[in-house]
Formats: sequence, C-alpha cells, structure tokens
Amino acid sequence: MKSPASAKAGSIRIPKLVLAALLGTALAIVAAPFLTCSRARAQQITVGTSSGAPRIKIAVTEFQPQSTDANLTSLTQEFNSVLWNDLDNAGIFDLVSRSFYPVKPPIAPADVVFDQWANPPVSTQMLAYGKTEILNQNLVVTAYLYDVKNPGNPSVLAKRYVATLDEISTRQVAHTFANEIVQTLGGGLPGIALTKIAFVSKRTGHDEIYVMDYDGFNQHPITSYGSLSLTPRWSPDNSKLAFTSYVSGNPEILIYSMLSHHLLPFPKYPGLNVTPAWSPDGKKIAFCSSLGGDPEIYVSNADGSGLQRLTFSPTVDISPVWNPKTGAEIAFVSDRSGSPQIYIMNSDGSNLRRLITGGGDASEPAWSPDAQFMAFEWRVSETGTYDAYLIDIASGQITQLTHDAGRNEHPTWSPDGRHLVFESTRGGSREVWMMLANGSNPKQLTTQGENWNPNWSN
Amino acid sequence: MRERKRSVELLVTVLGLLLLLGACNHQKKVVAPPPPPPPPPPPAAPVCTLTAEPTTIETGQSATLNWSSQNATDLDLEPGGGKVQASGTQSVTPNESTTYTLTVTGPGGNSSCTARVTVTAPPPPPPPPPPPPGPSEQELFNQNMKTAYFDFDKSDIRPDAQTALQSDADFLKQHPDIKFTFEGNCDERGSEEYNLGLGQRRADAAKKFLVDSGISGDNISTISYGKDRPVCTDHNEQCWQQNRNAKPAWGTESQPAAPPQQ
Repeated sequence: MKSPASAKAGSIRIPKLVLAALLGTALAIVAAPFLTCSRARAQQITVGTSSGAPRIKIAVTEFQPQSTDANLTSLTQEFNSVLWNDLDNAGIFDLVSRSFYPVKPPIAPADVVFDQWANPPVSTQMLAYGKTEILNQNLVVTAYLYDVKNPGNPSVLAKRYVATLDEISTRQVAHTFANEIVQTLGGGLPGIALTKIAFVSKRTGHDEIYVMDYDGFNQHPITSYGSLSLTPRWSPDNSKLAFTSYVSGNPEILIYSMLSHHLLPFPKYPGLNVTPAWSPDGKKIAFCSSLGGDPEIYVSNADGSGLQRLTFSPTVDISPVWNPKTGAEIAFVSDRSGSPQIYIMNSDGSNLRRLITGGGDASEPAWSPDAQFMAFEWRVSETGTYDAYLIDIASGQITQLTHDAGRNEHPTWSPDGRHLVFESTRGGSREVWMMLANGSNPKQLTTQGENWNPNWSN
Repeated sequence: MRERKRSVELLVTVLGLLLLLGACNHQKKVVAPPPPPPPPPPPAAPVCTLTAEPTTIETGQSATLNWSSQNATDLDLEPGGGKVQASGTQSVTPNESTTYTLTVTGPGGNSSCTARVTVTAPPPPPPPPPPPPGPSEQELFNQNMKTAYFDFDKSDIRPDAQTALQSDADFLKQHPDIKFTFEGNCDERGSEEYNLGLGQRRADAAKKFLVDSGISGDNISTISYGKDRPVCTDHNEQCWQQNRNAKPAWGTESQPAAPPQQ
C-alpha cells in the first residue's frame, strides 16, 4: 500500500464536485497508473443492447459513524442506503452481498486487509468504504474506493465531503460519491445519481407536472394549476421545463424556469399545442400545434420567434424529438399511413422517411443520447400489448425491452444512455418505472396516484 | 138555630148601607179643587239610522254612508266623520273592514246606530304570463346534441356519426346563437401523446361536418383531451367505443389568434 506522500506524487484527478470539499494533502487522491484493467473493462460497457459486458465486482461497506450521536447514526444509515442503491442502479456493477464481508469494515486505508476482500468468499475487484463524523456542526464523510486486486497501487478515489446535517444533503453526498465511482470505473460517462425526472402526476386528481430525484425520492409538484398539465421536457441545460397546460382553457405550451420558478414568455397559439422538444443547443423548440387546422410539427426559437411549419399532412403529426448529437434531424409520430408510426425528417422538414416499417402502432420515439438508438413504444398487432422497444437506427435491428407485464409505454433515456424511464401498468396503476437500457433491473419510482410521461434531466 | 139566621140578615143590611154612604162621599171630592196644569210631556229620545252602501267593498273601493236622525242636536260619526249634520252622506274608503258608529245626542238623551263596511282583499293578481314554453337553450342543447363516435385510430366520420352530426346541424339551425365546443376523446389504447393529436382530429372532423352543413364555424370551438377523460374505464371494446368520440359541450373558450402562416 502506498503512503499518502507517494500517492501525491502520482497524477491527481481533480473531481468536479458541487458539494464536495477536497481533502487535500492529508487524504490524497490516488489515481496513480490508473487502473488499466478496470478501464479496459469499462470501455466494453456501452449503451443499449450491448450492455452484456462483464460487470465490475464491487463491495460497498457500511460507512461507520465516528460517534454515537443519534443524528449522525440516522444520517449514516441514509448515506449507506443511498450509496448502495446508486451503485446498484448504475447498471455496470455487480455488488457483492454484505453477508460475505469481514465483520469489521475498514474506515481508513490502514484498515484494509486486501486478502479479505480479493479472495473468496468476497472476491471483489473494488471496495468502497469510509467513515462519517460531525465536525463543526457539519456532516463530514470520508470515502475511499480501492482496487483490492491491485494491492501495489490500490487507491482509486479518496474523497472528503462536507455537508449540512440533513437528509437531503446527506443523500447528495452519497449521490456525488456514487457518481464519482461510476464516472471513474464506467468509461468516463457521468453518473446519473444527481439527475431528476419530470413527469405528470394525477395524485391530486388533476394532471400536474412533478419532479423527483432519479431514484424516486423528493417528489414535488412544479404546477398546481388544477387543470391538465402534460408532456414535460427538460431543456438541455436543465434550467427550464417546457410543457403543455390547459390552465387557460386551451392547451398551450408554457416554459417554466427552474431557476427563477417563473414562467418565461412563449406565444399562445389556437388549437392543440403539445409535446414541446428542445433542440440540443437549447435554442429551438419543436412542438405539435393545430394552429393551422390540424396537428402538425412546428419549430420556433425558444422565445417563440421564427415560427416555421415542418409537416404538411392532413393527419396527426406529433411527438417530435431532436437528434441529440447533431440537432439536424427530428423524429416524430404520424398516422399518415393509417396508424401511428415513427418518421424521421431533417430539421427543416425535408428528407422524410419512415423509421419503423413493421405494422401496428409505433409511437413516442426517444433518441438515445449518442443518437445510435431510438426507444419507442409499439403494439405490433391489434391484439397485442404496448411494450417498450429499441431500434438500432443504422442497422434497423429491433429489440423488445418489456414483456408480458401490463402496458409499458413512453420510454425515455437517462443522460448516460444506460437507463430508460417509462410508464407501466404492470402493478395495476400506471406508474413511472426505470430499467436498464437492455430491459433488465426494472424499478418502480412512483406509487401515489397515476404517474406517467416521464422525462429525464440531462 | 133560628136566632143565628137573623143576625146574618142584620150584618148584610148594615154593610149595604155603608156602601151606599160611601158612594155619596166620592162625588163631593172631584168637583171641589180646579185641576192643576198637566206636566210637560218628557222630551222625545233621539233616534238615528245609519246605512252603508254597498256594505262590502274591495280594498281601494269606496262606500257611501247615509244617515238621518230625529230629536238629535249633536251627531258624531266615527271613525273619520266627526260632527255631522242631522242627516247626510259621506263617502268612505276604509282599508280594512270598519264599523261606523253615529252617536246622536239630544235633549232626550243619546243613542247610537252602526253600519259596517266589510273590506275584502282584492282578487289575486292575474297569473303571471306562463314561463317561456319548454327548457332553456342550454337544456335543449344538452337534450338534443348528439355525440359522434369513431373507429380505433381514426377520425373519419362514420355513417352513424353522420346521422348524429346531421341531427346536430338541424338543431343548431334552429338555435343559431348557440356557441359550443367539440371535445375530442380517445380510448385508453395507444400513446398519451398520439391520442392528444387524434382527439383533436376527431373534434375538428366533427366541426368540419357541421360547417359543411351550414353552421357557423365561429360558434364552434374544439379541444382534445386525448385519453385523459374517459367516460368509461373498463378494458373492452364496448367501453372503448364510448370513449372514442367528439362530444358537444356547452360554451366555448376564447382562442388565441392564429399567427400569420409561413
């Protein structure tokens, strides 16, 4: 095991943390000849259907509170629970069951006995451990990630986080450390533990826009209009939510600032105005409007100027989504063939082509962040059920993600492209669920009333 | 026995003489003093009559009191008359049934007579004009306007929807001022978002049928609720059919103006 002094001599990765305070010299961040084995594995892990690469084994110990303070004990339990769930949700780890762990978990590098972790029964590659304490009325979490199969140079992360003594801050610290681990071991893609999900909830009896943490915690309303508010969409910088509300009596697109908590100006058009979609640079909004007589795709600048009509079919044209990589294409739903199907056009309306050539009803397309895949919902035949599917756009290969479990609709992507959030009736009521992008590891996120049309922050 | 008979005969004779004597004395007394003047006869008591004509009036009408008197120096008609002449008439308009009393006073004393005027309530006002025949326009609208139903994933007007909408058009021609909204709805199948568009198409298709039938489009608004407002929540075709509709609803929401088209 290297001493902190020698670790300092290595290349130091400076984490970009919002909440975290770097420990600095005392707790050196050891990145060293950075984990060539893990990195190589991480690069095999890609999005979508090819996520069958071997997962990284990780043991996540319970961090140990350094006093018997009741508040510290409670917050530490919260921290341990959130960190475990975040790493379990990440989709790139195989978490080793705690029942195999040595009785006394380490709290500092000197406590780590490598053989206890690297050999059976634990047999882990990675070990996350640390301690919590109260210093100057703050929660201080000291957190380590060790590569126990590399005892000569084990330290991957050493972090110290300072936060206020409350549940929300404690959860943020756990999310932040989880994100660090995911980004470090997962090929450089940022973790999703601090992301949010917007959705529609009918828990009050009206359709309102809600936002929650990605893990279902902290569900709270954005609107309280007592009307219909639908189809929320995060702006690329997460500073705004565009959605539709019937609060004026007519369905109109509203843009809500998550920073000022006020509505930003956007024109009011007659008829149906729904499914706003931000261009990847955040400068334009594509949406469906029947202002010209029937539902068509329009695009305008985000302030409403420069309105332009993109589709010209006397049928339903709705649910536009931008190619998130290029911004040069827009996918949307049209029933011009007689039933709803997914089409792609250039963002000026030209070069229209149909994406899904099978029959049935295909709708609610969602482009993966790397633009390789389109998630969508599909009912292949009139007697079938609605399920979530993926299509590899280049090859046309289609993969069914959900099976035999109620209606599974409106899949949309997490920013890391490893997850989908969707609505499902598999538990009886229509609720928001998430799963890995290969359809595994489904987790229910909402339970109160009906909840649907989720949209993941970026 | 004989002696007793004789004494009775003697008593009868004496009494007869006494009677005769008495008669002579009475004759002597009448003739003697001159008779005093007879005392004045006592003054006659006042009398009166009081009548009302008619005796029954309605509120607001008048009656005439008619009176006369004898042997009266002072006549008081109450209520309302005060001192009055020995005979006369007076018109009265009591608001309620009233007993009039004429009190007459004279040297012979006083007396009174009464007459009652009964006041009846006026007849009830004529019944108000009957309410306008039948229900309000909104009630008629709700009773008469028919919902158009659609096939799955379709907004085409089926023959049965044509019949319903033609009936709507006939009704609206009789009620050209009615403004209303076609609410487009869908069954639970299919995506939330696509159904918002489909509901709009259904509402617009129903509106277009009426406009083509001569109804003013200015009076018809449209809105889509997608699959958010099902009237039936079972999961079968019978229920789904009920939910695939364009339903007329009273009233309109003001719409923003359309921007100039590019």
